[in-house]
Amino acid sequence: MDLKEEQVGGVTVLAVKGRLDSTTSLVLGERLTAMLGAAKARVLVDLSQLEYISSAGFRVLLMAAKRADQNTAKLVLCGVSGKVGQLFDLGGFLDLFSIAATRNEGITAAG
Amino acid sequence: MRKPRGVIYGVDERPPGTVIVLSALQHVGVMFAYLVFPVLVAREAGGTSVSVANVVSMSLIVLAVATLLQAAHKMPIGSGYLCQPVPSAVYLVPSMLAIRHGGLPLVFGMTLFAGVLQSVFSQVMRYLRPLFPPEIAGLVVALIGMATGVVGIRITMGIGTETEAGSREVMVALATLGTAVALNVWTKGSLRLACVLIGIAIGYVVHGVLGGFSASDWDTLYSTHWFALPQFHAAGWAFDAELIIPFAVAALAASLKVMGNITTCQKLNDADWVRPDMRSIGKGVLADGMGTMLAGGLGTVGVNSASGAVGLSMATGVLSRYVAYGIAVLLLVLAFFPILGIVFFLMPKAVAGPALLFVAAFVLINGLEIMTSRLLDSRKTFVIGFAFMGGLAVDLLPHGFDGAPAWIKPLLVSSLVFGPVAALILNALFRLGIRKVQKLTVDPADPDNLEIEQFMETHGAAWGARRDVIDRATFNLLQSIETIIEGCEPQGALEVEASFDEFSLDIRVHYTGPPLELPDKRPTNEEIIESDEGHRKLAGFMLRRLADRVAATHKGGRSTILFHFDH
Repeated sequence: MDLKEEQVGGVTVLAVKGRLDSTTSLVLGERLTAMLGAAKARVLVDLSQLEYISSAGFRVLLMAAKRADQNTAKLVLCGVSGKVGQLFDLGGFLDLFSIAATRNEGITAAG
Repeated sequence: MRKPRGVIYGVDERPPGTVIVLSALQHVGVMFAYLVFPVLVAREAGGTSVSVANVVSMSLIVLAVATLLQAAHKMPIGSGYLCQPVPSAVYLVPSMLAIRHGGLPLVFGMTLFAGVLQSVFSQVMRYLRPLFPPEIAGLVVALIGMATGVVGIRITMGIGTETEAGSREVMVALATLGTAVALNVWTKGSLRLACVLIGIAIGYVVHGVLGGFSASDWDTLYSTHWFALPQFHAAGWAFDAELIIPFAVAALAASLKVMGNITTCQKLNDADWVRPDMRSIGKGVLADGMGTMLAGGLGTVGVNSASGAVGLSMATGVLSRYVAYGIAVLLLVLAFFPILGIVFFLMPKAVAGPALLFVAAFVLINGLEIMTSRLLDSRKTFVIGFAFMGGLAVDLLPHGFDGAPAWIKPLLVSSLVFGPVAALILNALFRLGIRKVQKLTVDPADPDNLEIEQFMETHGAAWGARRDVIDRATFNLLQSIETIIEGCEPQGALEVEASFDEFSLDIRVHYTGPPLELPDKRPTNEEIIESDEGHRKLAGFMLRRLADRVAATHKGGRSTILFHFDH
C-alpha cells in the first residue's frame, strides 16, 4: 500500500493506493490517528486507487471516524466506487461515513 | 425490497393518473420506432398498403397483450416488472430468410415455432446453460447486430433491387441517421429517448420536400380511414425444417436479452439487490416467448423485451407496473387507427435502412460487451474468434462455399447460423483437458496475496467464469485467509480447493484449527472498534453476504470453510 499526502487549502488529502488488509491497515491507522489528533483537523481520504479492502481496513476507517468526532475534526472519504464501493455497501458502511463523489467535492465538504 | 435513491415510483407503487398517462405516452413513442421491423418484413413480402397497415395494427395488439403478460404479478407467467417488448431486430434476418423460402406464411409459422421454443427454454434454461456460455450468447447477439446492419445498408442503398439509391436517397438517409445519432450523442432527456422516432420523422419530411412521395402515395394516404376495426387476415402458417436453426438462434438470443433486461429491472428496484431472482426471470422469459407465439399467431414478427424501454424507466425513475397497464391501453386504442399503419407503409427505404443501422450499432456493441463480460483465455479467444470470422466469411463470400458438401449447406445460409453452430462445436472441443478442480497451498507465516489473486484469475479465465463471480470469490478467499491466520492460529499450511462447473463455483479452505464464525447479523460499530472478535465477526458477516451459500465445519481438529457461488 502507498500513502500520498498533500495539502489543498486547509484540507489534508491522503491518497491510498493498493491493498488495505490486516498488515497495511496498521500503517494507515497510525497516519490517520496522527492527522486527526489535532482539533478541527480537516482530512480527505481518497480511495480511488484502492484495489482491495478487508474488514481490518474498515475497522481502521471506523476508528478514524470516531476519533474525528471526538476531536471535532472532519473526515471525508472520496473515490468509493467499483469493487471497493460494493464492499462498503455490503458491510453497511455507505451511510456511516461522509462520502463525496469526487476529490474536488470531497475537498469542499471537508473544508 | 428497499427502494434505491433516484427511483420515484417503484414497481409495486401506484403513481397518480397523470404520471401513468405521461409515462405510457413516452414509452409508446419509443416503441413506435421498432414498428419498422414488421413493416419491412411485410413490404419485403410484397405486401399492399392494406396488409401492411393490418400488420401494424396486429403488432400493436400483440405488444399490448405481451406488455400485460410481462407485467403480470404473482402469476405463473410474467416477471412482474415494467419491461415491455417491442418488435425485435433479433427476428428480422430469420424473417427475411423465411420470406425468400416461403413468404409470409412461413414467417408467421416459424415465429410461432420460435415462441414455443422460447417458452420451452424458459422451463429448462437452467439445465442448458453449459451449452450456451455467455461468450457464445454475446457472439450470437453481435452477429445479429452485424447481420441487421448489413440489411440496413442493403435497404438504404437499394442493393440487389431495381431502384438503387440516388442523390435524393443519400440525402434522406443522411438526414435520418444524422438526426438520430446527433440527438442520441448531444442531447439528453426525452429528445435523446425519442431520437430514432424523430430521425424517422425528419427523414419523411426531407423525402417529401425533395419530391420523393408519388401521387399514388398521397392517394393511398388520403383514401385511408382514420378509424377502423383491426382486421385479422390469416395469411396462413407454414413450417420449414431448414429454418429451424435461424429461428432457434433468434429465440435463444431473445431469451438471453430478456434475462438481462429483467435482471436490470430487479437491480433498479432494489437497493439491496445481490443476485438475480431466477424465478422471476424464468417467468419473464416465458412471457416473452408467449408474446412471440401470439405474434406468429396473429401474423406479425417476433417480439422481445427492449433495453431501450428499461433505459427510459431508468432515466425517468418511474418503474411502476401500473405504467405497463397504461401502455397496454394506449397501444390497443392505437390499433384502431389504420392511418398509422399506412404512414409506416409509406416509409421511404432511405429512412427505414438508416433506422436499422442505428439499432444495429447498439445490438453489435451489446453483444461485444456480453462476450467480454467473461474472463477470456486463449481457448475462448479461438472459439469466439474463429466462429466470428467463419460467420463473416459466409456473409461476405456467398459463392465461396458453392463446392461444399450438401450436408453442410444448411449451415451456410447466414452468419447467424454458421457462427453460433461453429462456436458451440469449438466450445465443446476446447473444453477437453480443462481441469475443473484446482488446488493451492498457502503458508500462514507468509501468505502471498498476489499469488492467491493470480490463482483465481488464471483458473477463472480457463473456466470462462464470470468476472463478477471471480471478483466476489477472490475477495472471500483473501478475506477468509486473512481472518483464519489472525483469529484461528492455524497449524500448518492452509489448503485451498476451487472447483467449477457452469452452474457454480465452490471455494473450500481446509486448515487445522478452530472454525471461523460466520454471523448472519452485522456486529455493531462499537463491537468492531473495541475488540478483535468484533472485527472478525464483521469479516464473517461480509463473507456470508458475498457468497450465495457458506458453511463452516470442524472435525478431528480440521476445519473447512466453504463458499458457494451460483454461476
